[in-house]
Amino acid sequence: MTHSKFGRAVVIATIAAGSMTLGACNASGTEDAAGEIVITCATCQESPTDPFLQYNYEAAQRFNEEFEGTYRIETLSNANAGSGDERLQYYQRLALADDLPDVFQLNSAEIAALSETGSLHDFTDDLASDSAWADSFQPGTFDALTGAGGEVWAIPQQRDPIGIYYNKDLWAEAGYDELPSTWNEFEDGARAIAATGTIPLALDGDWATMLMWTNLIGTAPGGQDFLTEGIAGSNYVDDEAAYNATERLRDWHVEGLVNSDAFSGEFQNAAAAYLSGSAATVPNGPWFVKTNLQGDAAIDGLYESTGYSVSPGWDDGQGLVVVSGAGWVSGTEDQTELEAVLAFLRFVSSEEEVIVQAEQTGANPAVIVDEKALEAADLEPLSSALVTASNDVAQTYPHVRVHGPAGFGNAWKNLWPAYVQGDIDTDAFLTRLAEDANAGGEQP
Amino acid sequence: MRFSAFLSVAPAAILFGTFFAVPLVVLIATSFTSWSGRSLEIVGFENYQRMITDPVFAKALGNTLFYLAIGVFVQVPLGVGVGIVLALKLRGWKTFRTLLFIPFVISGAAYALIFSMFYNPRSGLLNSILASIRISGRDWLFDSETARWAVAGTFAFILGFVMIVIMAEIASIPRELYEAARVDGASELQQQFLITLPLLRNAIGTCVLIRVLADIGMFDLVFILTAGGPDDATVSLALYAYRAYLQGDWGYANAVGTVIIGVGAILIILVRRLFRIGDR
Repeated sequence: MTHSKFGRAVVIATIAAGSMTLGACNASGTEDAAGEIVITCATCQESPTDPFLQYNYEAAQRFNEEFEGTYRIETLSNANAGSGDERLQYYQRLALADDLPDVFQLNSAEIAALSETGSLHDFTDDLASDSAWADSFQPGTFDALTGAGGEVWAIPQQRDPIGIYYNKDLWAEAGYDELPSTWNEFEDGARAIAATGTIPLALDGDWATMLMWTNLIGTAPGGQDFLTEGIAGSNYVDDEAAYNATERLRDWHVEGLVNSDAFSGEFQNAAAAYLSGSAATVPNGPWFVKTNLQGDAAIDGLYESTGYSVSPGWDDGQGLVVVSGAGWVSGTEDQTELEAVLAFLRFVSSEEEVIVQAEQTGANPAVIVDEKALEAADLEPLSSALVTASNDVAQTYPHVRVHGPAGFGNAWKNLWPAYVQGDIDTDAFLTRLAEDANAGGEQP
Repeated sequence: MRFSAFLSVAPAAILFGTFFAVPLVVLIATSFTSWSGRSLEIVGFENYQRMITDPVFAKALGNTLFYLAIGVFVQVPLGVGVGIVLALKLRGWKTFRTLLFIPFVISGAAYALIFSMFYNPRSGLLNSILASIRISGRDWLFDSETARWAVAGTFAFILGFVMIVIMAEIASIPRELYEAARVDGASELQQQFLITLPLLRNAIGTCVLIRVLADIGMFDLVFILTAGGPDDATVSLALYAYRAYLQGDWGYANAVGTVIIGVGAILIILVRRLFRIGDR
């Protein structure tokens, strides 16, 4: 081959390779040979361990089947599909490259950060033009998904009342037929359980620990305001509810009422203590039943011995954490793609689909579902009891991990062990927690 | 001739330019900016001033140098000692060589997970062993007093790389030197101290150099084991930069990256001079 022919061949090969690459990048959202509008989903992949991803995958297959010839979901393989610290960073990089997937899921803190890129679709007009769809969602489900300017950045995926699992046998040994209804009684019971050599409360330094912190704050007078508004500010020290709750939770650790491996940030540490029968209580969401309580790691008969309750309260009745933070977002502004995205989101928020999701994941529907349909679905009784209870409790409030600033989880994991071990006092802990949690306010 | 020489260098030059020189220039240039990916504003030395006044940066720098010192002053001497002993080819030396090399080929993430179980205060092996001899255990990774040492303990004894380099270097030492020493009446110990060790200078220097390069960017072990906590007791410079990146503070993160490269370059020059690497 002469130099000129070689050079020409190189140029042609380069152009061909470039065209193929661009073609592959541009595949989403265009009509394919079959005339279908193809969109990409980054949280629709199969997962043997994550029931939510598995549900999404199966829902996407059902959608593809029902809308064959019109719309089609193409599943992206995404190592960051499940929740985790790296997920936000992953999508931020894609946003900067103007290459976000057409549809994917985020929690509210991630949504707040990613919306700053200007790459998320605002669903306000879509909901306004379809009031029947907008009205189908439960009250409050859009709260954590709405921007400061009223933008609706996501379509809610679920609305979960989150409670506390307790081993009825272990609490009965301490003289309690059910989980106590006040924190003082809870502490008395925990001390009685600890005296028998059992761990009263299983925590993890992350999700479950923050859940208890949230419960302690939310049930205190004025605590809901802190969890809904104050959490994004810097004045944690002066909030009486937050201050008292922080010291109380620390004291439980110091008194030995909590498992010794409660600082790792791994929920598995808390779960293992409860599932092995060595801990009497563990806070978590309804999915705990599917992912842990009915799994191989649970000792025989634990499911039958387990009760699921709302949180104890201070003096004025019990409370309940409600998480409605996770939602479907869209990274496209292409009208053709949006047509398919909206069709898919209407599909997964239909009564039939939300019941299927509730059955498969243990999560509760974000939309209002006919009571008869719910009864007919015969949802998992242990966790679904909290849905009914959520209508009667004195307080409901959001979880700080899901609704707080994006940096809250990392700041907490870093500082909480040092605080409990006495390296920093309450004032310093809360001040630094607020500063570090809010440091990531300006995201790219 | 000149064209063919250019052609032979071109691929390496293109790769070096694309994946090292250009990113390095971008890294250093953007370290003088406030950059969040969307907006970029030149702020001069502000990032570096902020770094100096941030106590967490001081902790990160101290921890990184601590990890580096453990690698250099524990891992390298142990690896050299084990390498010298194994090079004597005593009975079972191949088995020991294989066993000691295995930890080196395990990924950092898997290694960290194994050690997080080992250190688990409730069900970990370490506390169980201590309990069996009536010593009370603790939460090694999340106790401010022990966390740094616990993290260092996970890699201090990975001797595989140093051991193999030393054994290879010993194999290249002429046998005649030892025979002459034996004729002169030198004991086995004297032979190792007076012949082997001095001739290992280059290999030891190389091992120290590689440890410096690896430990100056220490990230995965710390990230998985403790995420830098408790209260930044284990945070490394690389993890500190990563946090800034997660917060959208990319200009600051790149300033930290520039410091990592600067500190690494200084240490490399010092090690090369100390061991006179390349001088024969």
